[in-house]
Amino acid sequence: MLLHLNPSSGVPIYLQIENQVKHYIAAGALTPSDALPSVRQVAADLRINPNTVARAYQNLERDGVLQTVPGGRTYVAENPTGLLKSEKIRRLRPHARQMAVEGTQLRLAPREIIDLVWQELNALEEAHERHGDLDRKAR
Amino acid sequence: MKDMAIWTEKLVKQYGKLKAVDELDLHVLRGGIYGFLGRNGAGKTSTIKVLLGLTRPAAGEAMVLGFHTGRQQVAILERTAYVSETKTLYGALTAQELVRFTRSFYPNWSDDAVPKYARSFEIPMDRPFAKLSLGNRTKVCLLLALAQNADLLILDEPTSGLDPVAVDEFQRVIVEDVASEGRTVLISSHQLADMERIADWVGLIDHGRLLLEARLDDIKSQFRLITAAGAALPQGTTADIISVSANGDFCKYVVRQNAEAFAAELRALGAMITDISPLGLREIFLELVRKEEPCTSGNAGGIPAAVSSSF
Repeated sequence: MLLHLNPSSGVPIYLQIENQVKHYIAAGALTPSDALPSVRQVAADLRINPNTVARAYQNLERDGVLQTVPGGRTYVAENPTGLLKSEKIRRLRPHARQMAVEGTQLRLAPREIIDLVWQELNALEEAHERHGDLDRKAR
Repeated sequence: MKDMAIWTEKLVKQYGKLKAVDELDLHVLRGGIYGFLGRNGAGKTSTIKVLLGLTRPAAGEAMVLGFHTGRQQVAILERTAYVSETKTLYGALTAQELVRFTRSFYPNWSDDAVPKYARSFEIPMDRPFAKLSLGNRTKVCLLLALAQNADLLILDEPTSGLDPVAVDEFQRVIVEDVASEGRTVLISSHQLADMERIADWVGLIDHGRLLLEARLDDIKSQFRLITAAGAALPQGTTADIISVSANGDFCKYVVRQNAEAFAAELRALGAMITDISPLGLREIFLELVRKEEPCTSGNAGGIPAAVSSSF
């Protein structure tokens, strides 16, 4: 798992980690039952505070994205989207609102804003297929 | 208080009329890396010297690892490793000899750590300390501190003179060998970008007073810089508004939390909000410290010797 962090950006480091792990899972680069490196390993590799990494892992676990088994290893959860539909929508709504507000301020047409989301969804799907192909070739 | 590695209450250190430390309340959690930040002469080194019992406070109280400074000094020193701002050790001794001299003072000293860090920091162990470059002196000081296996490391400018590779190695060691083991580190440093990486808490001191003590994540996710334009905008600070600076009809606010709610209040007063942006450590530092009077005490003005010789 390769994480790219920008410690001096306005985004907290734990959030950067959470977002990237979620992205890897969405793109199929991490799949259920894949093991994640330990908190200690990630902290040492990236030269960041172990408490920050632990916080990111805890949040991802709370969200059902990761699970930690007795003995301490952390895995991608079997059903990482096990949340209620209403909860998923509640979490996504602020992002949608921000897209809507910023897009309108930039004078983009509604159609153009929605197209952007489609493009991102397609990119994710393509990434997912590439990983699928690689997995099949590996077997 | 049991979860505090360092705790001070209304700590005062005075040199003549100058209050180098002014009613300081410091809270350093166990198992964290605390970035102790401030300008030259802000009172960082004076605070550290009080914590280590190297100088006596005029008032207030300080506890280190659950022991009272002053009264239980030996217990504190046995468990605390210290790298001083000046990096001075006996100049005629080599690093190897300094190791032999230092090890007997510390009950948890690790002989294995010496060759390990000598190798990873590439320290010339057989040259007299006085003949070493500043960077190599700093490395020797770090080696002696790390080998103590201390519960608390107090590091005053621990990367001075280090090249980027050595700084990277220093960060790896602090994260992997110290913080991951649940031990506590207090680092005083001007390298804000480095601090932003490895610290989880920061304390910002100016004129001996603590301007800010917060979790770095909270600074990033809740602190906002709000720029507003309008007549008769509020100028006072509150629990949430930690600094205000006005320039004509423009006001800049550093807000600790609830930035959107405060922006709504300003809009209700007829203000136009021109920007709400997150703050990095550097911006926080400049916003909070810049508007204060320039420091005149201690080692301000780039004469590092002045502060230590006046003690």
